[in-house]
Amino acid sequence: MLALLPQAIVDGVLLGGIYLTVAMGFSLAYGVLHVIDFAVGEWIMLGAFAGLAFTEWTHLDPLLSLPAIFVVFAAVGWMLQPLLQRVLSGSRGRPVLMALVFTFGLALAIRGSALTIFGIFTHSLNTALSQGSWHVSRGSFFLTVPFIRLAGLVYALAVIAVLNYLLKRTDFGLAVRAVAQHKEAAGLMGVDIRRTSAAVYGLYVGTSAMTGVFIGAIVSLNASMGPDLSLFAFFVVVLAGMGYLAGAPWAAFLLGLIQSFFLIYFNPSYVLLALFTILYLILLISPTGMFRRGV
Amino acid sequence: MKRQRWGVVVAVTLALCLGLIVGPAMAADEFKIGVITSLSGDLATGGSVTKRGYDLWAKAVNAAGGIEIKGKKYPVRLVYGDDQSQPAQAASAAERLAAQEKVDAVLGPYASGTTIAAAPVLEKYKVPMITGSAESPLIWKQKFRYTFGTIPPVNFTGSAVIKVLAALPQGPKTAVIYGTNDTFSKATAEAFQATAEQVGIKVLRFNILPPKQDMTPLMSAAKVLNPDLIAFGGHDEELVNLVKVLTQINFTPKALLMHYGVTEPAFAQALGKNANQVLGASVWTSSIQTKGSIGWPTAKAYYDSAVAEYPKDPPDYTQAASTAAGLVFQAALTQLGAAPPLDEASRTKLVEILEKLDVQTFYGRVKFATEGDYYHSNAGLTPLMVQILDGKEAVVAPPESAQAKLVYPLTPWDKR
Repeated sequence: MLALLPQAIVDGVLLGGIYLTVAMGFSLAYGVLHVIDFAVGEWIMLGAFAGLAFTEWTHLDPLLSLPAIFVVFAAVGWMLQPLLQRVLSGSRGRPVLMALVFTFGLALAIRGSALTIFGIFTHSLNTALSQGSWHVSRGSFFLTVPFIRLAGLVYALAVIAVLNYLLKRTDFGLAVRAVAQHKEAAGLMGVDIRRTSAAVYGLYVGTSAMTGVFIGAIVSLNASMGPDLSLFAFFVVVLAGMGYLAGAPWAAFLLGLIQSFFLIYFNPSYVLLALFTILYLILLISPTGMFRRGV
Repeated sequence: MKRQRWGVVVAVTLALCLGLIVGPAMAADEFKIGVITSLSGDLATGGSVTKRGYDLWAKAVNAAGGIEIKGKKYPVRLVYGDDQSQPAQAASAAERLAAQEKVDAVLGPYASGTTIAAAPVLEKYKVPMITGSAESPLIWKQKFRYTFGTIPPVNFTGSAVIKVLAALPQGPKTAVIYGTNDTFSKATAEAFQATAEQVGIKVLRFNILPPKQDMTPLMSAAKVLNPDLIAFGGHDEELVNLVKVLTQINFTPKALLMHYGVTEPAFAQALGKNANQVLGASVWTSSIQTKGSIGWPTAKAYYDSAVAEYPKDPPDYTQAASTAAGLVFQAALTQLGAAPPLDEASRTKLVEILEKLDVQTFYGRVKFATEGDYYHSNAGLTPLMVQILDGKEAVVAPPESAQAKLVYPLTPWDKR
């Protein structure tokens, strides 16, 4: 079945693109704020529903809602972050664990409200790109690339590129990296920690919400979709090395390719077994992530 | 002095209250029927369908005053237990309803896994249960004496629809069949596979997948094999995802067969024109010609009263079967003629009555099998094949119930 090889690779990369969209915000939040945000899946879910609402009110393509959704959710994240900060800088208990519990509770609250408000049914976002695919077939070589999945990959890479530029080439990025390295020292050097942290969190929530629109278009959306996505974000980031943002794309593509190859060439019933065995082996050899750059 | 007197007053009041509570347990004015279903968790969608079905029955029977035993009418009170979509919780809810609430009977869960977990508990306490939903053949294999079901198992329903497809001129000759790894979906996929092989359709690929897998690689591989039929067993979210994947890779088989979830309005709403021509199996729609000797007289009458109560949720076959489960208990309790609360001997006699019951309802015929693979499930019903046409489900087989002509093969996605 060598004929299926190009398709397997492409499907794996595109699947990895989806995982990357889910994981990149989460990786940023952890890398800078050192908080494991269990609510990442819920932000994605809210973004997806926001896209649905946008389409129902304006009858426009959901992809056109991306800028508006980013702005709205970034603002929400910006305003929420001081609350998270209070938990993180508390004097009782272990602040990092308390932040984890806080975000877990936040996730439960968001999910419960979503179930009550939006109901239990599965919806789908239809965009102009939803049905097209690029198909080529020459002799025994054939390939089908669905447009919407390609769009998801392009989006993920674009966000990574923008984040990279922001972090490496701007003063704001310098401040963010300083806060990530050593918060107190950064403060002493004149960085406004509160504003920087709030901005990072806002960026993270905004990107996650935009991701929601893509997930809703590529797959589907419902009020309970959060936990699975949070789990995947976690896997990608752990594999990449927690805190190492540049590793996230590679980890995401690796996970996507493993899944794709296994589903096509081996017994699909065991795909999760294969995935986790490989994950386990990699972490056994290199506990700080596949690039040994994790925390 | 004053404090002591208050203490005495409180103690006497408490004693009186206790007396009032304990006293009336001797005789009851109502039938206590337990309900175990998925009010929360992954399967809450389905659980809410069964809840609506059971509530509609309770409301109707109470509107008439209740179930009549020896000239007195006893209303029905439903006592809920949430199985949270988990078998362990279902067993614990069954324990609570039987041992603490001391219910007279139980209306059963939405899912097959939870039903199998609750059944042995109710067997122990000898409380009869009828489930208006669960369709896995595994339930009936264990031959629980106290468990019944108004919907026949999926191997009964699923095999009928494959046979209809095979009988078509230019019918499918090859198939790719997948199913998700949960009790119901697995049984559906296995039923499709077994029947396909029986009728001469070559099964090119068959697998049971972990839940919520991305179907793109699998369907890309299937596209190469070019099967005539793609059959899938899964729940609502997975069904929507499968159709979306097929549209994204632009592969249209000649027939696309799924099972539960296809008939929900949310499916057609999410997919728009791509939901059309998808096939499913069912045992009831609101347009079939049935005559009920108890409860609602026709399927349409039930449909009308269901949408009057729940305008946003038109009833599907699971909701109808749940209400029918209530009606069956009503018929059996009337025949039993024992006043509540029912003791163990009465409940055992109720089981004997249920086994012999043969009743026509708006839902169709209910006659439980008493032996064989379909033990205690409703093998008296005729399965229907439905197709989504114009965004709505329409019965296309068997001919005596058909409302519309089966569209085969599927119109390619890009030509819709």
